[in-house]
Amino acid sequence: MRGLLGFLVPKLLRALVAVWLVTTVVFVVMRLSGDPVPLLLPPDAPTSEIMRVRRELGLDRALPVQYATFAANVLRGDFGRSIHFREPAFSVVKGYLGATVELGLTAFFIAALVAVPIGLLSAIRRNTLLDHVAMGVALVGQAAPTFFLGILFILLLSLKADLFPTGGRGDWKNLVLPALTLGAFAMASIARLTRSAVLEVLRADYIRTARAKGLAEWLVIVKHTLKNAALPIVTITGLQFGTLLGGAVVTETVFSWPGIGRLAIQSIYNRDYPVVQCAVFLSAIMFIVVNFAIDLFYGLLDPRVRPRA
Amino acid sequence: MSQVTRRELLKSAAALGAAATLSPALARPAHAQTTQKQELVVGQSGDISKLDPHFSTSSNDIRWSFNLFDNLTSRHPDGKLYPGLATEWKLTGQTTWTFKLRSGVKFHNGDPFTSADAKASIERTYDPNVKSMVATVLTTIDRIETPDAGTLVIHTKKPDPLLPGRLGFYGGQIVPEKYLKSVGPDAFNAKPVGTGPVKLGSWTKDDKLVLEANPDYWGGKPDFDRLVMRPIPETAPRIAALLKGEVDAITQLPADQGERVAGNATTRVAGALYAGLYVLAVNSKRPPLDNPLVKQALSHAIDREAIVKELWRNRGIVPSQPIAKGDNHFDGSLPPLPYNPGAARDLLKKAGYKGEEIFIETTVGYLTNDKQMSEAIQGMWKDAGVNAKVEVIEYSVRAQKNREKSFKGVFWSDPTSTLTDPDGMMWRLLGPGGPQDYWRHARWDELGNAARFSVDEKFRGEAYKEMTKIFLEHFPWIPILQPYEDYGLQKFVEFTPNPNQQFEIRRFNFKFKRA
Repeated sequence: MRGLLGFLVPKLLRALVAVWLVTTVVFVVMRLSGDPVPLLLPPDAPTSEIMRVRRELGLDRALPVQYATFAANVLRGDFGRSIHFREPAFSVVKGYLGATVELGLTAFFIAALVAVPIGLLSAIRRNTLLDHVAMGVALVGQAAPTFFLGILFILLLSLKADLFPTGGRGDWKNLVLPALTLGAFAMASIARLTRSAVLEVLRADYIRTARAKGLAEWLVIVKHTLKNAALPIVTITGLQFGTLLGGAVVTETVFSWPGIGRLAIQSIYNRDYPVVQCAVFLSAIMFIVVNFAIDLFYGLLDPRVRPRA
Repeated sequence: MSQVTRRELLKSAAALGAAATLSPALARPAHAQTTQKQELVVGQSGDISKLDPHFSTSSNDIRWSFNLFDNLTSRHPDGKLYPGLATEWKLTGQTTWTFKLRSGVKFHNGDPFTSADAKASIERTYDPNVKSMVATVLTTIDRIETPDAGTLVIHTKKPDPLLPGRLGFYGGQIVPEKYLKSVGPDAFNAKPVGTGPVKLGSWTKDDKLVLEANPDYWGGKPDFDRLVMRPIPETAPRIAALLKGEVDAITQLPADQGERVAGNATTRVAGALYAGLYVLAVNSKRPPLDNPLVKQALSHAIDREAIVKELWRNRGIVPSQPIAKGDNHFDGSLPPLPYNPGAARDLLKKAGYKGEEIFIETTVGYLTNDKQMSEAIQGMWKDAGVNAKVEVIEYSVRAQKNREKSFKGVFWSDPTSTLTDPDGMMWRLLGPGGPQDYWRHARWDELGNAARFSVDEKFRGEAYKEMTKIFLEHFPWIPILQPYEDYGLQKFVEFTPNPNQQFEIRRFNFKFKRA
């Protein structure tokens, strides 16, 4: 038990420090980026009006005072009111969270379920046509800019082939193109990494031993190869998962998907400090939780990183 | 996640969209020219931010708030003022306007509309406690009386010939006094109640706004049961949604994409000449731009026709003056602003110009083609011997510079004519204390002030004529073009765009072609 605590507590503390750092940096950078008030008022608003709105939003106070208020409120779960939407920032962000998780999860599962088998097959059938085609496609997936892929999918699969809608959120059909677009990069990186991890393991002595003792090839792959190649695959997959959940500005914009990434970008343009802070805070939490889960998962996969009792 | 800036994204999307033009148009059956649809779906470039009409002036918001709410007067696409919630109005004294209000009108929640609502709505705009975003629109008003439920008497501080027009644009939407008081401003913004042809169904941010037809609308129920707005930020997907028939209309159709929509069998382009101008506003306080000869030279050196032809595919006209075509007192006898690089060089010599840097501060995409036009103009100015520099700034930086009046040279502006009158455009923006007050001229100021407070249209006409003459010597703005605002529509949609960006779906302006 003590071992487990010793394993968990430092990780938790590090996660907390990361959240604190992220929120503080965002707080400072947002305020350095300028004043939201001129964006709120008509261009012919007089200075007195601008001063009034700044006072109203508490932006006339010293930065440390603003920060102290902000920090105290966040600890109570209050992210302030959106300057742009005139409602609590948290409820604004919450409205986008569902769409982000829906898209992120789908993209992740498509990516992982396609990429790991492809990477594995490529490694086993190294230097065959299958390997070359799979890795070629992966290279394109990794290199093609998201907006290019997205618009290409819209033109080909939506406009020409009439298979899916051009964008917006609705039933599963609306989810396919944005999930493919968003998942493409992750899919490509996971497939390439799976291939190289598996190749690495296939060269190991214990694989030769396994084969030498006459084990069936599928058992060699599943029991000895995959299990040992799993660590880097889980790492990259987890990192990609965090990224996918953190919102995807370009994909969301191309497919008019109401996700958190687009909200954050628009809020930065609007200098809507509370919404940006809340969105970044929640994204950071999601990322950290996923990483934390991967750390725990490592322990399951690899006895060497398990805490000693 | 790809690290792509919005700027690059927009550029590439446009390029890709242009490439797609080459693909053959989609074949659609001929019956798509009519429809039995009961739902109108519109794609626009961004979501709404607020539904309370007194808290936003952005075009993506007012398209919808002008349909949820009515004004006392209504500016139709022909530019003329028609009855709205007021059936008639007249000047009953130098500073007194009397409005007769429409009877039998009900708000969406069933409350009757009376003069008390009109009074409360107007006063709300400039009430300092309300903190509205339209506080400066109706400030010529001194006090309002309601002798009975159907009459509104407005006293202005000085004669205000344009009051009925002011009440027809933003700030003038009528909200229900009783409901607003009982629920408070935030709940009102979330669940607005107006008298307009549509009422709120639901709003999912960045996804869709659903409005239901108001069956009891005094102007007749609109030609649909339901109106849906979908925010589609990127141009290429917005056009794809139209071509595929997912949406019935799209706003903000770029000039270079018009052919694609017009070339498709089931869609068409409808445009209105923008009620305003695209100009390079000048910081005339900064040498050498304080010298009128230099500004005349800059104007002479711009080949506006080439800009309209190449960058706008002829979806715009070359301006001749600071008054937009279509406005009161527009002088049709003036020729388009000339292109004469020789004259420009002579003027620069006469002005003693010594190659000082002249900055064009441009945003990317805040105005259509702003960066491309900046680069083109930089080239033209260089040809005339001007040391021109283009600097790209972010939209929020522009807003800040606008407020602080700290532009380094010339910058893009799209002055909107809010009143179909020079008072609501050049005087509103360039007048003393206005947002673009970088240049003063005693006679020009005297005339502008006199014209604002005169009810004698002949006198006002003379005043604006003289102001135009002074303007064309001093160029506080360098007008570049008056563009068309284009929409893409399904052919079964009958709709006339309004030059002032209102999206008018009332009976008189919108219907589906039925089989």
